[in-house]
Amino acid sequence: MDADLKTSVRGEILQVKDLPTLPHVLSEVTKLVEDPDASSEAIAKVISTDQVLSAKVLKMVNSPIYGFPGRISSIQHALVLLGFNVVRGIIISTSVFDMMVLSMKGLWEHSLGCATACNVIARRAGFEDPEEYAVAGLLHDLSKVVTAVQLPELHQTILDTVQAKQMTYFQAEKDVMGFGHDRINAWLARHWGLPPNIREAMSRHHTPQLAEFYKPMSCVVHIGDFLVRLFEFGNSGDDQTAYLRPEALIELKFKMTDLDKVMDEMAEQLLEVSDLTF
Amino acid sequence: MSQTLQDSLFQRKQTAFLLSPDKALAEMLQMLWSPEVIEFTVFEKGGGAIEHMFNEPPDLLVVDNRLEDISGKEVAGLVKSENVYRQVPVVMCVDPIDVEEPWNWNKVEVDDFLVRPFNPAEVRDRINLTLCRAMRALDANPLSKLPGNTSIIQRIQYLIDSGEDFALAYCDLDYFKSYNDKYGFSRGDEILMMSARLIVNTIRSYQGVQSFVGHVGGDDFVFILPPNNVEGACQRIIKDFDDIVPHFYDPDDRKRGNITSIDREGVTKIFPLMAVSIAVVINTEGRLKHYGEVSSIAMSLKKKAKANPKSCYVLDQRKA
Repeated sequence: MDADLKTSVRGEILQVKDLPTLPHVLSEVTKLVEDPDASSEAIAKVISTDQVLSAKVLKMVNSPIYGFPGRISSIQHALVLLGFNVVRGIIISTSVFDMMVLSMKGLWEHSLGCATACNVIARRAGFEDPEEYAVAGLLHDLSKVVTAVQLPELHQTILDTVQAKQMTYFQAEKDVMGFGHDRINAWLARHWGLPPNIREAMSRHHTPQLAEFYKPMSCVVHIGDFLVRLFEFGNSGDDQTAYLRPEALIELKFKMTDLDKVMDEMAEQLLEVSDLTF
Repeated sequence: MSQTLQDSLFQRKQTAFLLSPDKALAEMLQMLWSPEVIEFTVFEKGGGAIEHMFNEPPDLLVVDNRLEDISGKEVAGLVKSENVYRQVPVVMCVDPIDVEEPWNWNKVEVDDFLVRPFNPAEVRDRINLTLCRAMRALDANPLSKLPGNTSIIQRIQYLIDSGEDFALAYCDLDYFKSYNDKYGFSRGDEILMMSARLIVNTIRSYQGVQSFVGHVGGDDFVFILPPNNVEGACQRIIKDFDDIVPHFYDPDDRKRGNITSIDREGVTKIFPLMAVSIAVVINTEGRLKHYGEVSSIAMSLKKKAKANPKSCYVLDQRKA
């Protein structure tokens, strides 16, 4: 039964054709790509606030057609290499959520909050290219969107289980399906040819101690996810407290004072972020 | 029919061979274009045409399956199996009975076919299309699909002849060879694809101006822009290239900022990360008269740009 469910869920998930997003960002990007004077930096900045558009852009630039699969994990670089025409094509073919907007809005805020947190944490840890950590943070719950779109009934069952049993979304997934969105992330990221660092962070953000090749990035996303839940910024499917793995802090050589500094900076930036969108 | 070359789809007169015993077909084809646009040489037998074809390959070959001495398929096979001739587009003329059974187009590598009875308007446009398609495909770089040398030279000469001011930039990658040696050619190709894409998108972002991007081969690219846009484009290409290229190295090499590889003499050496050198020749007031002048100035500038191990561009400062 379990194996069958896994196979059928995987099949449905990977068949996702139309991944919609929220109207606000889409209309903003549409405006920018129609403006001949808009810079790729400006467009990248807006796309970087939307997990679906970011995932689509990275999926495309990392596809074998362009000839450098799995190499690009920055939205800004992706835009330079795709060009405005292609980006315009992605925008045109992206639809918006209609009915589900309200239930999805919280997940968007959570993802954007996590991206913000990851950027702050990566800089605090002294890592190069903090934007790439932000991308990993932005995409860490992507499979929840895909599940909602492709398997709405299963998604609803998970949400109901969260309520009924007062557990986290992650626990409810395991209760209902026997596996979690981390596993679905791994399928999606591989199927879409996303770069290995982003892929591992997406599939290991609940278990960063098991990350094989990109442990620091997995740890950053783990801490980012934890902190953004602590701030109660957005909603990722439940309102339980998450577990913070001490290994993640050790990996980044973080002390409690580092977390304090990170949280101070997050508080400021999240305020800006919530002004910017939604 | 009485069309001039100028109004045609082609930049120069096209030569075509028709291999067919069908006199009506020959007559029709010769009526469809003025000899100034497409000049047909007609061979009633296939055998005699082959040697001509190999000595002076035409721009188009029309082969009739009604040939008596040699089959149309065989002629097509002869042309398409030789790498130096296979770019010649071949159009096969057949009778309805010939195509009752499906053909193996992997074996008969023709570019198009026409079925009797011929409709002159259709024949005209099918052949025009075949020629245009062949021109596009012929010169494209097989990796990047960007226009190659023939198109680059034509474009430069066209700009010179039209007296327009233009800037021609030659880009090439420093330390590409050592990257290739260390990581292998398929990762080298990734770099070339990335560079091509980056240059194309940068140049294309200048809208409403005459622009062009070509791939000379290997790690050499050219682009053309109006003189007042060129410096900005160079700066953007350099910035984006320097931002992106470190991501194509393995994490250790990237952190170190160099790679250990073997140089041309077989000695193990340390090489910096790749950089892009751009040499820009600016042609104003019709100073340069020939493509050769442009490329020789560019080559000497390139040496100057290459002397700097970091990404940089050098502008040709000479004035008319």
